[in-house]
Amino acid sequence: MTTKAAKPTVDGAPEDVNRRRLLAWLSGVGLFGSAIVAVLSNLIFIKPRATYGQPNRFAIGKPEDFPAGARISLDTRRVCIVREGDKLAAISTTCTHLGCIVSVAETGFACPCHGSRYDQDGIVTGGPAPKPLAWYSMTLAPNGDLVVDKDNEVEAGTYLKV
Amino acid sequence: MSTQTIVRSRNSWLALPENIWRSIFRNPLPNSDYGRSSTSFTNFFLHIHPVKVHRHSLKATYTWGLGLMATFLFLILVVTGILLMFYYVPSTTQAYDRMLDLRGTVAFGIFLRNMHRWSAHGMVAVVFLHMCRVFLTGAYKPPREFNWVIGVFLFLVTLFLSFTGYLLPWDQLAFWAITVGTSIAGYAPVFGKDVKFLLLGDATVGQEALLRFYVLHVAVLPAVLTGLVTIHFWRIRKDGGLAKPEEEEAPATGPTMVKGGAAEAAAPMTMAVAAGAGAAVLPKRSFGIQGLVRGPLVKTGTLEERTLFSWPNLFQAELLVFVVSVAAILVVSLFFNAPLEEPVNVMHPPNPAKAPWYFLGLQEQVSYSAFWGGVGIPTIEVLLLLLVPYIDRRIAGVGRWFAKERLLANTLFMTFAVVNVVLVIIGTFFRGANWEFVSPW
Repeated sequence: MTTKAAKPTVDGAPEDVNRRRLLAWLSGVGLFGSAIVAVLSNLIFIKPRATYGQPNRFAIGKPEDFPAGARISLDTRRVCIVREGDKLAAISTTCTHLGCIVSVAETGFACPCHGSRYDQDGIVTGGPAPKPLAWYSMTLAPNGDLVVDKDNEVEAGTYLKV
Repeated sequence: MSTQTIVRSRNSWLALPENIWRSIFRNPLPNSDYGRSSTSFTNFFLHIHPVKVHRHSLKATYTWGLGLMATFLFLILVVTGILLMFYYVPSTTQAYDRMLDLRGTVAFGIFLRNMHRWSAHGMVAVVFLHMCRVFLTGAYKPPREFNWVIGVFLFLVTLFLSFTGYLLPWDQLAFWAITVGTSIAGYAPVFGKDVKFLLLGDATVGQEALLRFYVLHVAVLPAVLTGLVTIHFWRIRKDGGLAKPEEEEAPATGPTMVKGGAAEAAAPMTMAVAAGAGAAVLPKRSFGIQGLVRGPLVKTGTLEERTLFSWPNLFQAELLVFVVSVAAILVVSLFFNAPLEEPVNVMHPPNPAKAPWYFLGLQEQVSYSAFWGGVGIPTIEVLLLLLVPYIDRRIAGVGRWFAKERLLANTLFMTFAVVNVVLVIIGTFFRGANWEFVSPW
């Protein structure tokens, strides 16, 4: 199948030398290619398909559980549920700097790790945080439960009316 | 005694213990130069060393034994680490309890954990100091460029080993240091997020991350480190030992025979190296000294007077470094306990959440900018370190501390080293709650 490529070339090298060179080249490509495939397969192997941690979409209770003016931080879920009047929202409590949990402070949120500060809406007011805190979509399930979806970020200031 | 009587006595049953002994240790304790050569050459553990070693390389004030010290600390880490593995379980529900068991019920448990922890800290410090020594004596110059590169990788692997070990106790310190550390990886461009996910095996630090860090810490990284150390050592030998000042290396005239006969071992090796390496980076070393092992004595210029037999000179020095390293770790482990904080509470980060001390310079940088402090500047620093021997090509001033000819290079390196040490000090002592500036006094 490689006879065509092994024909004599311009420099006039004997046919078998060319064939030998081509075969060596092909073997090299084959071996090197196999090595790359092996490395890639290993990378795919160590990338988990299923994770065992918390789901990113979860119910947090009924709207009545959150009185007007409440700012309740659900630390295990890493979100803060904010209620203003009849409007509800879920703001991330994971610091955008390096992933520490921010605590609810008088002025908004404060991170204990590197001193980042955010206002009530999660806008950065100080420290090294590069981005404001994320807001997550909140919906009302048919059974009346509030459902937060951390895979679905929404614009800051997006509230759910109840 | 005639030859016949020796043969007869060796064949008798009474000679059995001696025969077994001699079959294991082929050379009796040496009392002649020939014996000293053979002992170094034929013993598996000693043959890593040259038969003769240059006086300059034996000077304590030249190397301070730092490379050896790092090796011996790694040895202590392997031994104590394997022992700790008998009791440790990499599970989020059990790991912390096992730490308490080491403290309370396991015989010598707390002592072994102390040894492991303090050796790990010591190894990071000693590897860094070793790198400073090699730079400040210009020992990375040709033909040793690539060994410097391997050394930089060894430093990085040492840091990564320490980092992966940091999570295993599963206490507050561990959890939050790794949360912060892996988030820094997440800032790297293009692959950052994937690297973080591969490291943690999940979106956050949890059981998967603990298992992954454990495997990296006890299997993958020690294997990588061992491999690199082997190459590091092998190259030292092939590059003609440690770097020496030029006047010490002057080859003078070619080999001259002291006694008759050709140096059979010597000649082919010299030629092989010359053919393989080309004239440009021919090591300034005469392989003729290997002729001492078998057959006639070879005198190679003035090299003879400047070298000493490894047995006992080098081995004594190595033994001393070993004893000092082990003794230091034992004493420190006796008086100071490795810290163990509260068990992990994913809800409440400690304030401030600090990384291990050698990463506090990084954390200090990160408090200004996550990308530049945690990824950008460290990457540039590592690249510069890797390129050092290819940027600085001048040969002058090799093998001497703070050589005048290397004033610029040494000043730049010292600035780099001092800035990093100062950042570590600020991060360690001058940062309090919310990473605000505090005075330690």
